[in-house]
Amino acid sequence: MEVLLFGVIAEKAGSDRLSISAPDTSSLMHALEQRIEGLSKLSYALAVDRKITRANLVLTGKEEVALLPPFAGG
Amino acid sequence: MSENKEHKKRDIFTEGPIDPSFIAQSIAKHATRHDIGAHGIFLGQVRADIRTRDGSINHAVTGIEYTAYRDMANEQMSIIRDEAFARWPITCLHVHHSQGVIKAGELCFFVFASSAHRQAAREAVAYVTDEVKQRLPIFGKEIMEDGEQVWKSAVLMGRGGGGGRGGGGGRRRRPDTMRSLREFP
Repeated sequence: MEVLLFGVIAEKAGSDRLSISAPDTSSLMHALEQRIEGLSKLSYALAVDRKITRANLVLTGKEEVALLPPFAGG
Repeated sequence: MSENKEHKKRDIFTEGPIDPSFIAQSIAKHATRHDIGAHGIFLGQVRADIRTRDGSINHAVTGIEYTAYRDMANEQMSIIRDEAFARWPITCLHVHHSQGVIKAGELCFFVFASSAHRQAAREAVAYVTDEVKQRLPIFGKEIMEDGEQVWKSAVLMGRGGGGGRGGGGGRRRRPDTMRSLREFP
């Protein structure tokens, strides 16, 4: 699946999206932390279908997944 | 609530700063609404904060580059909009946020609510302003006078809320962040 990257995370990854496959959000985060250097040291949230998720969700690969650094709007 | 539905597909983002004349025009557009007795407005302006780096060298912020997860931000905005309409008798609500580089002194955020009486407009604007800052995935990079760029981290999604990961490295976390995280479905 494609994972959308934003802000400082996109900058670290050198891209605004990344292709990766994982059966659930927990293993996805683990895989992303291996792929993106410095990610494990950052504060971030995972959004699945545009909603921030804390639970470990099963992924089918059709979801819209995004990694979100701290918000700074306004 | 028909007005709500009409607002649902709105995109709050505008490229570049918000022109003060756009604000004047927005107010003027409401002149035909004779049921309105009060307008509440919040305007966010980019501030030239002084940042200390490398020990003691001070640098002024010359601008902020905003980016956003636009689809999610607009979805969250429509939820916040529904909450505001459910809570206060407002006749309309308009929200605009900048994308791209906004220089110090320019406007980047515009919240505008109208109602028959002042209290509803005033309270709705305060609520929407705070919730947008907390819940919309908008990211800002401060551009310093020497060209250095520093990511802003106004709202940290802490591990306690379960949404965030990694070490915040002792950076401050505001208690209302946790509250708003719990509100995420």
